[in-house]
Amino acid sequence: MQSRLPPLAALTLAGRRRPRRGARPHVIYLAIGFPPAAKSSAYRMRETANQFAAAGWDVTVITLADESWEREYGLDHTLSEGVDPRIVIERLTLARADLETDIRAFSEARSLHPQQWIEQQRRQELQTFPEPVFGGWRPELEKAVLRVHRDHAADLLMTTCAPYVNLAATWRLWQEYRVPYVVDFRDGWSVDVIGGGAAFAKDSPAGRWEEKVLAEARAVWCVNEPIADFYRERYPTLRDRVRVVRNGYDEDCVPGSTHRADPAAGLTFGYLGSINFSPALLDSVLTAWRMARREHPLLAKSRFEVRGHIGAGALREANAHMELLRAAAGDSVEFGGPLAKAEVAAAYGRWDALVLMLVGGRFVTSGKVYEYAASGLPVVSAHEIDHDAATVLAGHPLWTGAVGLDPRRLADSFAVAARLAVEATDEQRAAARAHARRYTRRAQLAPAVAEATAVVTGAAATGHGSDGTSIEGGQA
Amino acid sequence: MTKVLIVVGERPQQKSVLLEALRRFRDQGASIGIVGDVDSDALALDPGLADVRALPAEPADPRLRRALARIPQPSRALWLRAWADPWTRRWVRTADVLVALDSTAVHAVWEMAQRQPRADACNGIGAAGRIVRARQEGTHRVARPASERLSARAGIVVRGARRAAVTGARESLEAAMAPAVLRSRIGGRLWRSAVAAPGLPERVRVALAYRVHLRSVQAGRPSLAAATTAAAADRIGGRKSRADLLSREAAGELDLGQVPVCLTEAVAAELALADELLPRQKARAAKSLYKAMRLLFHRVPHFDQLSSPLAERPAEFLAPLRASATARALATPRGRATPAATPAADRPLRLLLMTNGNAHFLQEIKQRYAETPGVELRYLHLADDPVAAPLTRNPAGIVEHLVAGQSEYGNRVEEWLRPHVDWADTLFVDWCVAAAAMTTLVDPGDTRVVMRLHSFEAFSYWPHLIDFSRVDDLVFVSDHLRDLTCEVVPALTGEQAPRLHVIPNAMDLRRFDRPKAPSARFALGLIGTSAVAKDPRWAIEVLRRLRADDERYRLMLVGGGLDPKASESVRRYQAALSADLAELEPSGAVIRIGHVDDVPGVLSDLGVILSSSVRESFHCALVEGAASGAVPVVRDWPFFAGRETGARTLFPADWVVGTPAEAAERIRAATASEDVWRAEGAAAAGHATKTWDWSVVQHDFDELFLPGGRG
Repeated sequence: MQSRLPPLAALTLAGRRRPRRGARPHVIYLAIGFPPAAKSSAYRMRETANQFAAAGWDVTVITLADESWEREYGLDHTLSEGVDPRIVIERLTLARADLETDIRAFSEARSLHPQQWIEQQRRQELQTFPEPVFGGWRPELEKAVLRVHRDHAADLLMTTCAPYVNLAATWRLWQEYRVPYVVDFRDGWSVDVIGGGAAFAKDSPAGRWEEKVLAEARAVWCVNEPIADFYRERYPTLRDRVRVVRNGYDEDCVPGSTHRADPAAGLTFGYLGSINFSPALLDSVLTAWRMARREHPLLAKSRFEVRGHIGAGALREANAHMELLRAAAGDSVEFGGPLAKAEVAAAYGRWDALVLMLVGGRFVTSGKVYEYAASGLPVVSAHEIDHDAATVLAGHPLWTGAVGLDPRRLADSFAVAARLAVEATDEQRAAARAHARRYTRRAQLAPAVAEATAVVTGAAATGHGSDGTSIEGGQA
Repeated sequence: MTKVLIVVGERPQQKSVLLEALRRFRDQGASIGIVGDVDSDALALDPGLADVRALPAEPADPRLRRALARIPQPSRALWLRAWADPWTRRWVRTADVLVALDSTAVHAVWEMAQRQPRADACNGIGAAGRIVRARQEGTHRVARPASERLSARAGIVVRGARRAAVTGARESLEAAMAPAVLRSRIGGRLWRSAVAAPGLPERVRVALAYRVHLRSVQAGRPSLAAATTAAAADRIGGRKSRADLLSREAAGELDLGQVPVCLTEAVAAELALADELLPRQKARAAKSLYKAMRLLFHRVPHFDQLSSPLAERPAEFLAPLRASATARALATPRGRATPAATPAADRPLRLLLMTNGNAHFLQEIKQRYAETPGVELRYLHLADDPVAAPLTRNPAGIVEHLVAGQSEYGNRVEEWLRPHVDWADTLFVDWCVAAAAMTTLVDPGDTRVVMRLHSFEAFSYWPHLIDFSRVDDLVFVSDHLRDLTCEVVPALTGEQAPRLHVIPNAMDLRRFDRPKAPSARFALGLIGTSAVAKDPRWAIEVLRRLRADDERYRLMLVGGGLDPKASESVRRYQAALSADLAELEPSGAVIRIGHVDDVPGVLSDLGVILSSSVRESFHCALVEGAASGAVPVVRDWPFFAGRETGARTLFPADWVVGTPAEAAERIRAATASEDVWRAEGAAAAGHATKTWDWSVVQHDFDELFLPGGRG
């Protein structure tokens, strides 16, 4: 992998680049999932765009039309309220055909063999770009970035994956106009974050795309050290351009204080987040919950409230997870649907303890772990023992520890969390919140955005936005 | 009021979700109809929640039945059955929302939508919920132009014409695959070339190869079938397509009662797919592994024939399984956190007997330890437990748990089994089947785990689903079953293997000691004829040879007969047996006696007891017959005949014969006179009682359960 550019070097804008419209630099932000899409990645995208705007950039976000998100997790307009009004949003009429639920829109062939039809579509999408489901979006995404650039010349393309097909549009703009780019790779592509190791070989079509695009990237952001290390090892020439930009949490999502638990009335355990882990994991937690309730009178009168998105398309709120939750209603498990961003802090404020259910292992951190850590509540961990969330929670005074997914051990964790919820002192809760303070989203993103700004403007990267916002130091 | 018609093509997977949605629809003022393959009792719907219309699986209309027979797609068949139903047509005409509950139902809803342009047509109960709510709130907007109705009607006509043309073409294709064509060298070569033609779309190649393969098998040309499949498989790039084709062909041949010509290739292809899926999709990998194991251990090759490739060449037969990473993940020993503890001395030993199989072999054991001081006995038959019974019927769940390391199924087993394991000092699981596999999904704590393997399990996938690192002692009923099982299951010889014991079945043989009438001397008996492995036709062949010289010999077949519905190969064996019986029964040469409870009574009428089986672990009925004073004649069970251990090492040498001719010779000699016959019978009875009676064998069980003489 040969890079022709030094890491984060200031650019000489030349070649076929189009003239700037004004004095402010312009960043095109390819962010499929930008608010109001009700997706967990929307928080990071919103903060990234806001920080660029605050740093003096004109920002044009390219995402999908609102209707497209109806097929997936829907919309959360309260998320849009926090978007800097100076940001321009381009919405493309792309949508996932596999999530279509209107049978009138189906062909006869699809109606006869719905699954085979989707598999056939995926094979075709792979011909366009080596990413199932999204590969077919390549032409539209390429056209969109070129159109935006021709209309308002970009100084930087910020691209965030997934979907990885964004890399094709990124490359096209680079090929035609040499617009420099930063890849916010988040969970990476060639790294198998669930199973560990490589998801595909370097000489596969996806491998060739990844290597080619990353070689010219000014910076590559990842959400944790294990993923960053994977890329530093896979592409040694990229070593100095890979940096960790943790997801962090939004300060307005956590309550200023927690309410006192009332053991006489029972406790409320809460889960908030997309239910995107395996049904088996959810079942292990529900089994542990039942066992713990049988054994502990306090838990027997407690509730477990699950909030978040479940399933998409035809399976939205009608999949195996939903079945498990409905069937657990008799054990005081309640599913209340997704929460709007604006309601998140209030939910943490009325819960007594949290249940952190996560897929994967050492390559996965998640976004919700930071919020959980900052909530000042006891946290029950339901994930693999060797998991990056454990790195974030290590030292948290109200964490019950990572015990794996064995229901027997998880039942013990529920009991410990219940005790902590009742007995934790104000000092312990304050210490828990202090433990997480370094993980605010702003603090995580600020140095990375400042570096990207420096790439274009030549300004020294600092921890301060151009509009005077004070930004705390982040983590490399 | 909003009228919602829900079409169901498969057993609802999310029952609670469906019931919740129905209640919500009702609360929103909707009326609901449900049609399709739906069992309203299983759904446990509240009365008045919905009108349920279960479509008959076999429609009364013969034209519809013929049409359905020609349709390969379940989704299309569901539509035809639904539209033939007047109740459904009435509902469709007035429905506002048409809902497909599963993918099989999508086509029926699609067709209904062409005929009811006003209605919304949606996939999934969640999407239906959003439409019903929007209709109730008045926010629902439908913008379908009138032209859409016209094009829908025109589409119905066009599709009907096209379908008729396709049916005609398909029938022509079938004619070109007639047995006569495939038997000819030119016809065979033509089809083999056709499936391997370059540029053929994969879907077409797979469909064509499948048809040619099965037709070739039916035409008696297995080599052509194998060659066709090999030619097609070489052109198929995807592991999944390849595995699907080979597995489907193998399943088709098994349905025909044949051992698939490409069984090894099909298993290897399915395992290759599993291995590809293993790193990222363990649950899917487990599904492929289970599919491979079901093919490998299908009843047709091992139980419904007179030979088994597993018995003949175990290493070669199991080689694909040994080579698979997914199968190795399945077999990874998990061990136990703590070793089995010495039971507390200050209270009775808690002994739990558990099985989900035939409880017949536990009777004496149960009775003895229920009466033994110092032992507290519990007995659990999983079929009687409402929670455990369904768990025993889910081997796929066991495979998934073992491969993935966690599963809903495993959690259910843990919840159910844990209190029992915590109670017991010693857990004895009879039969190495589901109950045994479920047991080793759970770390037994400090409970000692003992299991017993009888016979058929060795030819099934069950021992491969048992984690023997969590078993302390494994009991066999004979040396030859131990030897074969150890060859088949590597975990029984590894470092974490259980202690192995051979203890004969527990039998009270003294109750068979009854006087025999002189007429019994010429009465041959075979007890138990409900499996092909018992090979009653071998006994009939012995009878024929005897009756060629002396028509006083007759054969009594005792017990229930074969179930010809079990498989096509059983049906074929049954047909041949029926022909034998039609010839021999009218003269009284063969007498069939169905199931009897009074076995000692029946045995008192028999002078010779036969074991004609191709495989047995012990053959209790033979030993009981010997204990009654009948002369035992044991076929050298062919599954074990070439091995170091078998019938010849289990029984006295003079009991065992190699051929029907030798059997006839032994019987003639042993029944030459009444004195000789009675002396032979008395010797056999003496040996049986002295060796295998419960009064002798119980000491082995005491040593197993109560080591050191506890109790």
